[in-house]
Amino acid sequence: MSTATARMRNIGISAHIDSGKTTLTERILFYCKKIHRIHEVKGKDGVGATMDSMDLERERGITIASATTNVAWGGHSVNIIDTPGHVDFTIEVERSLRVLDSAVLVLCSVGGVQSQTITVDRQLRRYNVPFMAFVNKLDRIGANPLKVRDQIAEKLGHNAVLMQMPIGLETALEGLVDLVAMKALYFDGPDGEIVRTGDIPPELLAEAAGLREKLLDAASMFSDELTEAVLEGRPTEALIRAAVRRGTIARKLVPVFIGSAYKNKGIQPLLDAVVHYLPDPAEVENKAADLDNDGAERVLVPDPAAKTCALAFKLEDGPYGQLTYIRIYQGSLRRGDELVNSRSEQKIRVGRLVRMHADAMSDIDEAPCGDIVALFGVECASGDTFCSPGLRLAMSALYVPEPVISLAVSPVDKNAGDRMAKALGRFTREDPTFRTHVDPESNQTIIQGMGELHLDVYVERMKREYRAEVRVGKPEVAYREALGRRVDFDYTHKKQTGGSGQFARVIGYLEPLAKGAYEFASEVKGGRIPREFIPSCDKGFKAVIKKGPLIGFPVIGVRAVLTDGHYHPVDSSDIAFQTAAQGAFRQVYLKSSPQILEPIMKVSVEGPSEFSGNIFGSISQRRGIIVSSVEDGTFSRVDAEVPLSEMFGYSTVLRSLTQGKAEFTMEFLRYGRVPPPVAELLKEQHLEKRTKDARK
Amino acid sequence: MTQTVKEELVKRSPLRVLDKSISGGLGKGRLGVLASRKGVGKTACLVHMASDKLIQGKPVIHVSYSSRVDYIIKWYEDIFKEIAKKPRMKGALAIYDEIIRNRVIMNFKQDGARTEQVLRSLEAMIVHGNFPAETLIVDGLDFAQVDPQDLGKFKEFAVRLGLEVWFSASLKGDEPLFNAEGTPFLLEGLMGAIDVLITLRHHADHVHFNLVKDNGKPAPKVLGLKLDPTTLLIVRAPARRSR
Repeated sequence: MSTATARMRNIGISAHIDSGKTTLTERILFYCKKIHRIHEVKGKDGVGATMDSMDLERERGITIASATTNVAWGGHSVNIIDTPGHVDFTIEVERSLRVLDSAVLVLCSVGGVQSQTITVDRQLRRYNVPFMAFVNKLDRIGANPLKVRDQIAEKLGHNAVLMQMPIGLETALEGLVDLVAMKALYFDGPDGEIVRTGDIPPELLAEAAGLREKLLDAASMFSDELTEAVLEGRPTEALIRAAVRRGTIARKLVPVFIGSAYKNKGIQPLLDAVVHYLPDPAEVENKAADLDNDGAERVLVPDPAAKTCALAFKLEDGPYGQLTYIRIYQGSLRRGDELVNSRSEQKIRVGRLVRMHADAMSDIDEAPCGDIVALFGVECASGDTFCSPGLRLAMSALYVPEPVISLAVSPVDKNAGDRMAKALGRFTREDPTFRTHVDPESNQTIIQGMGELHLDVYVERMKREYRAEVRVGKPEVAYREALGRRVDFDYTHKKQTGGSGQFARVIGYLEPLAKGAYEFASEVKGGRIPREFIPSCDKGFKAVIKKGPLIGFPVIGVRAVLTDGHYHPVDSSDIAFQTAAQGAFRQVYLKSSPQILEPIMKVSVEGPSEFSGNIFGSISQRRGIIVSSVEDGTFSRVDAEVPLSEMFGYSTVLRSLTQGKAEFTMEFLRYGRVPPPVAELLKEQHLEKRTKDARK
Repeated sequence: MTQTVKEELVKRSPLRVLDKSISGGLGKGRLGVLASRKGVGKTACLVHMASDKLIQGKPVIHVSYSSRVDYIIKWYEDIFKEIAKKPRMKGALAIYDEIIRNRVIMNFKQDGARTEQVLRSLEAMIVHGNFPAETLIVDGLDFAQVDPQDLGKFKEFAVRLGLEVWFSASLKGDEPLFNAEGTPFLLEGLMGAIDVLITLRHHADHVHFNLVKDNGKPAPKVLGLKLDPTTLLIVRAPARRSR
């Protein structure tokens, strides 16, 4: 391992909406001297926070695409990825988590653990990412960092330990007590850039001692040396730090830091903590599938001299062409190096290598193992792995959920059409959860994504960044169809039209498949169907389930089994068997009492308890099922399962029901059966649409 | 098929013994209490009782004052898995996803939640949330902080909305915990509002159920039930004479 790698941190900053994550990032950039002035997210100066590089983000006050940036702090190089908070963009969060070694979870000291915090925590768990917490907004009315620490322990089940305590709270916030050094910290100067240490105010000494004891208790679990030192009454700062670091990296301890980014308090100690407690790239184990060895898992070695393995995790189209963000897991990257894309097997040469800072960049010649940098002009998709020639590895595929909602978009004129095509091309390369296709029947362009807001943002970006004016249809839910029960088929396809005819007979059954979309099996014996035609049947089934006979949506959960059949030595062909399989499916599908399935969303609503009744009512009116409600004093959270089709416009409804005081998040949960009356309605609509299309 | 599974589950449930012992079940507008020391199995019993109602298609609200929601969900899954392991109950797991939709979990933080507020939220769930609950399970309420008026409010609420309510009461402190009638000292002042009282007590290697009060009348008897220490299910036991 090189010293460069040991002095590197790759961190993500994850949080609930509005917990002040972008403001925090802005301050970090400022104190690390990357920017020379501070801009607020919804800044009056019209510049906006530096990390939100897109106009739209500035306008809406939210962060959409994660920009990565590099800063230097205390002799360490820190790569920061600013992640979006909305669930609709979770793919971005998940992608960042995949390439980061650790995270800072930002919480609001008033709101505490909120629904989105829980989602992010689950993601951190899934990718085994160590993290520390930063309780922000201590200047706000009702700030209570101790309560937030308790919530991290109770609601998220983490061993959370306060590393600092506040001196004053809300408007009286003056500074912090560092519980490791047992010193008071104040932040002087117009932008809090001067950190002044002092003695702990006498009236806080007793509380500080109590909290320090808890910290020592928790930290001792990870170091015998510290335990001994505590018993002797001489724990040193270095021993405490080492123990906390060990616990944090093992994900068995969550150190909790506090402050107010807006008031410029507590940021420098947080940066120190990133260096002290979060792992360097070599301390995190990463694996890849070895394609030369049947996809066997292989641990990557963080050795700069080893052959290179790097992951392209984000693409961006900038004014200079396509920018590819890449994380180096093994070996290092130099200008002029040759790399092979493991998926496409295309060779590329590393031309320009740059380090990114929000909108600006600096050219570099070399990047060590563990670093995150960007390449120029590389053709690839996000998720592709690049290796040195002779090595064929694939970093585990990123989990990409299927889109649940679609929208028809049509350009207002031909110019707009060209621009729209360009925009869509870029968006789909950047975001795997965003898809687009042209519907062959209506000839309309359909865009698909993870939610209303997700698609809204892309429509906006088309208008703004590409000047592509488009008309937008009504959002449509991605329904699915499914077999009701096992049905047998016996179908003969026969056609005699002069010349050579077509003949194929297929016998077998279709049955519901509990997991997965489609499976095919052949039990045909004795060459009743020649071997070369078996895949033709598979192909036929695959084609026919793309558009279900009920309402024209894909049929999922189908297991097609071929047991017998018949062929003709002259008239049987690939196409004849494909057609026969399709005919067989159509023949029996409706007899299986097929069902229509709809996406069910996991919805989480948070708001003041006084509105519980309204929230319960709004969910029950939407065919929702309330799973639980948690009431904590005057605040409550309702978790429910609601069909996506009922969730359109919910944000407006919720706002008016709760005087704008409640908010909700949702994510795809599963496909569920549509109740019979709704199913009938959908079938009617489908029939109407078909007759209308036929008339055209 | 699922219908027969449900019928079988209901018929074979050891809880039918309980129904019989307390003159046909708890009933609407009544309050029942399961009392024991911590860790004896009250939550398991309540979850088993709630599952029995759910299988009968009767909606249940599970109120919890302490546990996290995911722990409670886990309790139901575990109890149901155990039920499904019993002979001839193989189909039970297949109906789990369906019956569980009739359960809502409501979690309150003990120190912030006053009885009025809890009842207000419950009413909101039943009325505005359109959730036709018949049974209320209240787990983890600290009876040391409950006064007769609080319980009176629960009683009034149960009568007005036609609910049967099962509470768990945790007993703490040094022996003796029970008076001569077998009523826990903790609950002595509250007996006016309690219709059915069952205490769980360790006896040799198992836990058995003492019926202390049955629909308003003192009825000291040991029920023909015990708690299986490995599965934490309520199971049948040969009835004994009262002590």
